[in-house]
Amino acid sequence: MTRAAVVGAGMTKFGVHDTPLQELFGEAAFGALDDAGVTTDDLDALYFGNAMSGQAENETHLGPRVASHIGAAGLEVQRFEDACATSANAFKNAVRAVDAGVHDVVLVGGVERCTPETGKDTPAMTRIFASASHRQYEQPTGLTFPSVFALLTKRHMHEHGTTEEDLAAVAVKNHANGRLNPRAHFGKETSVEEVLDGPVVADPFRLMDCCPFSDGASAVVVVSDDLADSFDAPVDVTGVGHATDVVPIADKADLPATQAARDAATEAYAQAGIEADDADFAEVHDCFTGAEILASEAIGFAPEGEGGTYAAEGRTALDGDRPINPSGGLKAKGHPIGATGTAQIVELTEQIRGTVGERQVSDANVGVAHNLGGDSATTVVSVLEGRA
Amino acid sequence: MNLTYDEWAAAVREGELLGLSCDACDHTNGVPTGACPHCGNRDLTRVSLPTDGVVHSETTIQVPPEGFEERGYQVAVIELGDAKVMGRIDGDSERVAIGDEVVLSGVITEDDDHPAPLFASA
Ligand SMILES: [Zn+2]
Repeated sequence: MTRAAVVGAGMTKFGVHDTPLQELFGEAAFGALDDAGVTTDDLDALYFGNAMSGQAENETHLGPRVASHIGAAGLEVQRFEDACATSANAFKNAVRAVDAGVHDVVLVGGVERCTPETGKDTPAMTRIFASASHRQYEQPTGLTFPSVFALLTKRHMHEHGTTEEDLAAVAVKNHANGRLNPRAHFGKETSVEEVLDGPVVADPFRLMDCCPFSDGASAVVVVSDDLADSFDAPVDVTGVGHATDVVPIADKADLPATQAARDAATEAYAQAGIEADDADFAEVHDCFTGAEILASEAIGFAPEGEGGTYAAEGRTALDGDRPINPSGGLKAKGHPIGATGTAQIVELTEQIRGTVGERQVSDANVGVAHNLGGDSATTVVSVLEGRA
Repeated sequence: MNLTYDEWAAAVREGELLGLSCDACDHTNGVPTGACPHCGNRDLTRVSLPTDGVVHSETTIQVPPEGFEERGYQVAVIELGDAKVMGRIDGDSERVAIGDEVVLSGVITEDDDHPAPLFASA
């Protein structure tokens, strides 16, 4: 059942930006508003995501600042922080608000800068990212985010025989897709050999198994089902599931299960009245290659334990039977934390509209977005469908 | 609360790991919590965890965060009886793999004096 519709989508190129946050966000927001053919006067609210600019750039209370920059001061603005799932959480709340009749037209988006343009080098940014792990029971070991996903992935390799070549296949695929995406951080292909030759970050992950530090912004315009038909190219939001799992990692029942993703997908599919097999493609949270393998199983795109072989056999490639991350994913498109969730919604919207050119998934009518936060303790799964 | 962070941290410094067992669902939490994260039960029993266990998962960190200057340290999730806990593998010990037996060997306080348990290959 349609809960809301996306009628406008915009994003900056993801990469390195020597641009203040409000200007970055403005580019994405104006893009979404213009795409929808609405002005800020039409908006009822802004649902805004930013995860860590307080730590990275000493910038907080960003809501009214970005609203002022886009000419929407006075608007109701809500700011969300949910680690890497920040703007998917904003999107969920926007969908819920228009579904409930609280608002009719909402701008949803996020912005983040994570590159050295913030003034933070790799060790400093690594520490800021690690703030999403448990302060008392995890950070004192020296845990980092690559190592969080390394722990989950190594357990998957142990239980299912997933190999480093399988992990590399995810990077190769996503770089190939990202090369076709003009807004992607990386525009070059890679090979299994090149990935396996890279320096180790946290085994089994080498440099090319990890998404980059990126700067960028994304935004979408969400309207109520009733209003959607008055827009040119509405894409229906038929389900949004959101779930959490136990923190810290050691107390989770099953490390590689990423249970929050399973629960969120179950909820989203139930709302949409679909099964995983009905979805034509997915954008998943591949902050690390192993994370995509866990995600592909959690959302039902690959059978249990076969996420790695699905990637290695090309089944999740653009021309495979279960395409994952046609945008290039976080791996190649980039991962400006607070912008990632709505950037997935941008890709779903444009894929379903059929406007993405060379990286178009054929017959893309039902898309799934999987945006994970922290150590997999938060996941939002959204289902978007072409309007009949 | 049946176990606070301060009590847990003091015990780690003394070479003891404290957890909380839940009679309602059989989960043993490896660290303090206000209620069982799996079933909500607040009536948890403080337990002293075994000091020997098995590696559940592990990785070696080559790109450390600010404050951890020396790269190449191993972190692991260790199964200790019915609980699992996150710890550091002692740099003087050999590297461990999933399934290997380890023993609690000490404490590190590299992070602003926050303690973390240290394990060594058994
Ligand atoms: Zn319990």
